[in-house]
Parts: sequence; C-alpha cells; structure tokens
Amino acid sequence: MSYIDVLREAKDQVTPGMSACQGCGGELILRTVLKIAGKNTIIGIPPGCMAGAGVVGWNYANGLNIPVHIPLLDNTASFLTGLSQMYERKGRSDVNIIGFAGDGATADCGFQSLSAAAERNEKMLYICYDNEGYMNTGYQRSSTTTKGSRTSTTPIGSVINGKQQQQKYLPLIMSMHNIEYCATASPSHMSDLVAKVQKGLEASKKGFAYLHIFSPCPTGWAYPSNKGIEIARNAVKANVFPLWEMDQDGYKLNFKNKNPISVGEFVKGIGKFKNLTGEDIDSIQKYTNKRYEILRRLAIG
Amino acid sequence: MAEHLHITPIGNDGLYILDTASWRVFRPVMNKEKCVECGMCLTYCPVNAIVGTQDKKYEITYDYCKGCGICANECKKGAIDMVLEGGTK
Repeated sequence: MSYIDVLREAKDQVTPGMSACQGCGGELILRTVLKIAGKNTIIGIPPGCMAGAGVVGWNYANGLNIPVHIPLLDNTASFLTGLSQMYERKGRSDVNIIGFAGDGATADCGFQSLSAAAERNEKMLYICYDNEGYMNTGYQRSSTTTKGSRTSTTPIGSVINGKQQQQKYLPLIMSMHNIEYCATASPSHMSDLVAKVQKGLEASKKGFAYLHIFSPCPTGWAYPSNKGIEIARNAVKANVFPLWEMDQDGYKLNFKNKNPISVGEFVKGIGKFKNLTGEDIDSIQKYTNKRYEILRRLAIG
Repeated sequence: MAEHLHITPIGNDGLYILDTASWRVFRPVMNKEKCVECGMCLTYCPVNAIVGTQDKKYEITYDYCKGCGICANECKKGAIDMVLEGGTK
C-alpha cells in the first residue's frame, strides 16, 4: 500500500474547521499523523499553535475525534509518562500515546521533562513540529530559530540584525538519550514522513520515540501561503533540515544530497530573512555544512 | 457542572467546528482534463479539503477550504487554478 493510499483511505481525526492559518504546516502534520495513528490514540497537545487553533476544544466541545488533553507548556512528557504507565498497568499497551508539541514546548520550556522521559525510555511517541519560534504569541525567538531571523524579540534595527545565535539542533541531542527511535521529517517528503510516523508508533510500544518535523509558518516567516511545501523542500535540499533516522541499528541518512543548493537560495522569498547580509548567509552556510558533515560521519552506509 | 457525567467536560457538546470557508479569497478549481490522478493535492492539503472519490479520482470540497493555494502550487500538471471568489460560497 503506497503512502497516498494510506492517506486517502484513512479517516481524518481532526475537526474539519480549525483556526490554523491558511497554509499552516502544523495543521498538515497533525492531520497526517492522526490519520496514521487512528482512533486508538490519546494525544497531549501543550499550549502552542495547535492548541490555540481549537484542536483541544472550546466551550465543552472537543477539537478531535479522539481524547485530547492540554498539559502545561513544560510538562508534556511527564504528563504522558503518567498516561503511558497507567495504560500499561491496565493491560492496554495497544493505545498510542502521542505528544504533539511545538519547538518552544520541546526545545526550551519542556526540555527538562522531555529529556527525563527520554532517559527513562517511557513508552510514547513525542512529535515536535518545528516552526522555529513561539508562533502562537506572535513569533518570539526560540532556541531553534535560525540565525538572522527577524522575530518580535530579535527585531531588525541599528543594534542587532535579527537573531544573533545559531539554532540548537535538538534531534541529535534527543538521539543521544539512547532512545528507541529518533528521526527528522519534512512534510514536503511525505512518503518518508508517513513511514517514519508508522515506525515511530511501532517503536513507541517498546520505548521512547521522538520525531522532529519541519513546519513552515506563513504568518511568522512572512511568505505567501501557497509556498509552504516548496520552502520545506528547499530546506531539505539545502541541508538546512537534513532527513535522517536513528534506530537500534544506528544512524541512517534518508535523503542523500548529492548536489545541495546553497543557503542563499533557500532564504530567497522568505520575509524573515529579508535583511540577511552576505556575512550572515556565510555563517549559516558554514554551520549547515558542519552539521551535515557530523550526520554524514554518524550515518552507516 | 453537576449535570455533566464526564470526568472532564471536554467533548460533552460534540465537535468544535469553525466555518473556515468564509476566509477564502481565492477558490481552487480543478481542471479534470489535465488531472493525472497522482494524489499530490490530497497529500499536501493542510485542511484535508481534497477527497478521493470511489473511481480513484480526486475532488475538491469547499466546505472548509481556506484557499491557501498549496494544491495549485504543488500540482505538477498545473491542473488546479486559483480563481477569485465571487459572492459567497
């Protein structure tokens, strides 16, 4: 069964009308993940875009066809640990326990509980949709924001020119917790994403599984709403967001990039990178190359 | 709150649905002659507004389509046009 048939036949578990922006990457990822996970799922969505968009419900109504809970920004993984352990004790380990958090609730605020749950190898699938900032509150910088990005807390002006630091590469940090499964995915490479969600759900029955998914944001990044998938594809092609996975056999690069495009080409047309100088682009390119080289050396085959 | 039987009140009143079709400025229109039924539009539609029909074809539904234009941009055959919404849905 090809991935298109999987997506075609599966029932959508999310409310048909949710208030995510036009062309939202996070909405596409949430719908795809829950199509694959199916009805037998409990999901925890911390505050962030997806919770704010009405997925957790409003006025006694639910935003999903499955049980959903909104933990705090910093305790998603510990909340899910409790759920996971309770269902294990009840003899219902067939239930998919999923956390669906933004990068703020994963890399910054929620990192302590996430790291602890990963180290204990709790049985759950934790998904981070990485839109590189706190989009729900008007794009404040987060630790995964790319250098040079214009955000509301790192504006462009005479003192600073966007964010001054390089982004934190969270998936590699998570893989070093010796968890069951860790992978990065992009909505532009959908067959890869579907396979990874399936693999992650399988691994979540044995231990901790982590998925880091690239999620372009038209409102925060300031690009036309129809370009989202194109930008995600360019990010993979430019090695800004390399696709790889880590399971019990080791690391594997899923998209071997023979002729990567330059970072300069990737940032074209994205409003938040409008003010990048040549120096900025060079430093992002250098960081990108360094990171890809580390991954290439880690990967087997 | 006493009349609620659920432990948490969420879900008591059914599904939370928003009328997102009213956001639309441009409406995607599929040209059935150019369509090769590859399914890319269904794969990438964030709202799941594109459905697969019984005869393995694809159709755009307008009940919740926000008009983002991703389907038109991703269609390799250029079979989807974005036309300005005239009047109401």
